[in-house]
Amino acid sequence: MAATAEWETPSTRPDEIENLVSGVDRYNPSNVSILEDYLYHQTRSNEYDCFANLAILKLYQFNPQLYNPDVVVNVLVKALTAIPFPDFNLCFALLGERPTLNNQDEPDPVPTLLPLLTTLHSHLLQCRYPKFWALFKSSECESLRDNYTVECAGFEDSIREVVIKSVRPAFKKISVERLSTYLDLPAAEVATYVEKLDWKVEGQDVIIPPNQENHIEATVVRENVQFSQLSKIIGHAAKTSAIATA
Amino acid sequence: MTDSSQQRMMWANDAEIDEELHEVDMNIAMGSYGQEGMYEDVQSRIDNVALAASMQQQMEQQAAFASIPDVVKRFIVHFHQAVVNNNLEQITAAYEGGWNRLTEKYYAKTEWPEAELIAPLVNDDPIFLILYRELYYRHVYSRLNPDIDDRFHSYENSCELFNYLLNSDGPVTHELPEQWLWDILDEFIYQFQSFSVWRSKVKSKNEDELVLLADGGQVWSCYSVLNVLYSLIQKSRINEYIVATREGKSEEEITEIVGEYGQKPLYRMLGYFSIICLLRVHVLLGDFTLALKVMENVELSQKAPLTRVTACHVSTYYYVGFCYMALRRYPDATRIFVSILNFISRMRRYHTRSYQYDQINKTADRMYALFAICHALSPSRLDDNIVNIAKEKHGEQISRMSRSSIEDAIPAFEELFIYACPKFIAANAPPFEDPEALAAYFQEQTIEPAQRHLALFLSDVRGQGSVPTLRSFLKLYTSIDASKLAGFLEDADEEDMVQQMMVLKQCSRRIGRVSIAPTEGSKNGGLLEGDIITTSDLDFVIDGNMVHVVEATVGRRYAGWFIRNAEHTQRVLDQIRDSPLPKAKAPGAPPASAPPDSSGSTSSKKVAWGKASA
Repeated sequence: MAATAEWETPSTRPDEIENLVSGVDRYNPSNVSILEDYLYHQTRSNEYDCFANLAILKLYQFNPQLYNPDVVVNVLVKALTAIPFPDFNLCFALLGERPTLNNQDEPDPVPTLLPLLTTLHSHLLQCRYPKFWALFKSSECESLRDNYTVECAGFEDSIREVVIKSVRPAFKKISVERLSTYLDLPAAEVATYVEKLDWKVEGQDVIIPPNQENHIEATVVRENVQFSQLSKIIGHAAKTSAIATA
Repeated sequence: MTDSSQQRMMWANDAEIDEELHEVDMNIAMGSYGQEGMYEDVQSRIDNVALAASMQQQMEQQAAFASIPDVVKRFIVHFHQAVVNNNLEQITAAYEGGWNRLTEKYYAKTEWPEAELIAPLVNDDPIFLILYRELYYRHVYSRLNPDIDDRFHSYENSCELFNYLLNSDGPVTHELPEQWLWDILDEFIYQFQSFSVWRSKVKSKNEDELVLLADGGQVWSCYSVLNVLYSLIQKSRINEYIVATREGKSEEEITEIVGEYGQKPLYRMLGYFSIICLLRVHVLLGDFTLALKVMENVELSQKAPLTRVTACHVSTYYYVGFCYMALRRYPDATRIFVSILNFISRMRRYHTRSYQYDQINKTADRMYALFAICHALSPSRLDDNIVNIAKEKHGEQISRMSRSSIEDAIPAFEELFIYACPKFIAANAPPFEDPEALAAYFQEQTIEPAQRHLALFLSDVRGQGSVPTLRSFLKLYTSIDASKLAGFLEDADEEDMVQQMMVLKQCSRRIGRVSIAPTEGSKNGGLLEGDIITTSDLDFVIDGNMVHVVEATVGRRYAGWFIRNAEHTQRVLDQIRDSPLPKAKAPGAPPASAPPDSSGSTSSKKVAWGKASA
C-alpha cells in the first residue's frame, strides 16, 4: 500500500463523495453543499479528506458567489493537521482570488485569520512546536479557537500526532520536559500519552523504541539496474539473432 | 474487479453528467457567441456596414484577392484538396512545410488573407475555412499583436471547430495529422491563458474594450474551456481505451468499449491530448493535485503515445514536473526533468529545423532552472550531465541558492522560479460589468497569480532554510553533543537546533514514486502515488543530548554508462550492416588503404591504455 493511498482516497470517504470528486460533477456548483456538509462531517468525526476539500475550494474559485469564509477557515484548519504533507499550501494556492464580500453586516473573518493560520502553519512546518502552542493559546487566536478549532473534534490531538510524526524518526531518547513542551501537555501527562504509542518513560527521559527511521546505519548504496533499462539491448539482440538464424 | 466495475459505474454516472453538461453549460458556453447580445451586435453592425457600402467593399475585396500572390493561392487550393481527400501525407506537408515557408516569405509581419477572401478558392468549404482560421489566428497570436476582435473571434472559431467535431451527426470523417491535432488543443489553451492574462490588466483597456469585456460572458471562461476538454475526453472514451489496452483486452472488445467516436484516430488523439491540456489548465489555475489526478491513466514512458508529438511530450513533462514541485516532491520532479532534458538533448541533433524547435528549447531552459531549484532543495546524484548543463545556464543563481544564509539565497530562488514557472492565471475576470467594483478592483492592486504561488513556494524554501548549514556541520562528525552543535549555528540555542534537526529529518524523507512504471496490478498507478523515500545520504538520530551521524556512501554507477554505450554500439553496428557493400572498383585498392588505418587506431589505443594503467 502506497503511503499516499490514504491521502488520495481516504478509507472513510463515502462512495457518493468518491463519485463526485472523480468525475465532472465536481464542477457542478449545485454540489457545493454536499461537499460542505462532508467537510463538517470531517470536523465532527475527526476524519480528513484533502481531495474533497480541495474540490470545495475549486468550486469557490470558479464561482465566487458561492464563497463561504467559514468553510475556507475550516478547510485550512483541517489542512494544518496534515503536516508534513503540503495540504495547507495546496489549499492556499486555490484561494487567491478572494472576492470582497458585499455583505457588510458580517465581516469576513478570513483576512484576519489567514495570516494567523499561515504563521501557525509555518511554525508546524519548521517544527517550532512550543511557539505554535504559545501562539495558538494566545489571545490573538481567540476567535480561531472559539469559532473554529473548538468545533474541530480532536484538533489538538491531531497536532500532537503531527509532533509525534517528526519526533519518532529523529529521536531515540528525548527528555520528558522537552516532549511536554512539544505536546503542550504537563510532564505528568506525557507518560500516559506516550504509553499509547508504546514508548517508555525512564526517569527524566522518554525512550523511543527503534523504528525504521531512528535506527541509523552507515550503508553503501549499490546500483540497481531495472530490467526495463536493458529492454532495448535485449530486444536488439533478439532481433539480430533472429535475423542471423533466418 | 470491483475496481473496474466501480469505474464503470462512475463513468456511467459521468455519461449522464456529460449530457447534463451538454444541456446546461455546454450550450451556454458554445452557444453564447451566436445568440447572446455581443456577437449579434457586432454581426449586425458588420451587416449594416456591408449593405451600405457593399459595392465599394466588393471592389476592395477584389483588389485584396488580386493582391494575394499566386503561389499562396495555389498553396491554399492544394491544401484544401489534401484536407478533402484526407491525405495525411499531403496535409502534413502543407501544414508543416508550405504554411511555414509562405509565412516566412509573405506574411512574416502581416496577417494571412482573411478566410472570407480565400473562400472562393475552396468552394466555401466551411470546415476547411474553420481550419484555415485556426491557422490564421495562431499566426496572429505568435507573430503579431492580437487585438480584442482577434481574441474574441479566435474563441468563436475554436468553438465552431469543437462544435463541429462534437455535435455533428456521428463522428466526422476528417483525418488530421497528430501534430496538428495537438497544436489545435495546445493553441486553444494558450489563447485561453493569453486572454486571461490580457484581461486581468485592467489599466491598459480602452473604453471599447471595457464595453466588450463587460458583455463578454462565457468567452474564454474556465468553464467553457474545461467543457471542451472534458467533452473530447468523454466523447472519445479515451480513459476507457487506455484502461482496456492496459488490461490487454482484444481488439474487438476495445472497439466495443470505445464506441463509434473512440475508434477514430482523430477523436482518440484529441481525447488523449485533452487529458494533457487538462493537466495544463489545472496547473495554470493552481490546482496541482487535480492536475496529476486527471493524468492517472496516462503512462509516462518513452513508448507512450504522447511521445509521438515532441511538443506534447515536452509540455507534459514540464507540467508534471512542476506539479511535483508544488507538492514538494522534489525527487519526483527531478526525475521527471532529468528524463525529458536528456531526451531533448539527444533529440536536438535531429530536430534543429523543426518549426517548434525554438519553443522546445525555451521550455527546456526553463526546466533546467526548475531542475536547479529542485537540486538545491533536495540534492540527488541522478545525472551529472544535466547538473553540468544547468550550471552553464543558471550558474550564478545556483551558487547563490547554496549560500548559507537563507535570506541571501532567497532572491536566487525567486529569480529562477519567476523565470521558469507556468504562466499562472486568475480564474475569474475583473468585475468589468460593475463599474464601481471595477474601480475598487483597480485600487486594490490584486496580487498577480504568479506572485502568490511564488510566496507559497518561498515559504517552503524558508522553512528548510537551515538544512544545508546543518548538513554541512553534521558531515564532520559521527557523534556530537547537541549543545556544542548549537554553538556552531548563528543565534540558535540548543532547543532551536533540535527543532531544526527535526526539519532536516523531515526534508530527507520525501514522498516519491519508487519506480517509474506503475507496479503490476496496483490500483492507483497514478502519478500521485508515492512512498516515503530517503533523499539524503546523511542520517542522524538524537539520543538525549547526543547526536549520532552516519553517512550512506553510494557505490559508483556503471550501468547507465554501459547501457548507453551498448545501445550506441548496436546502432553503429546496425548502420554498418545496413549500408550497401562497397563496390569493388579496383580490386585490392580499398583493403589496402583500410588495414593500416585500423591498425593505426588500435595501436594508439594500446598506448593510451598502457599509460592509464601505468
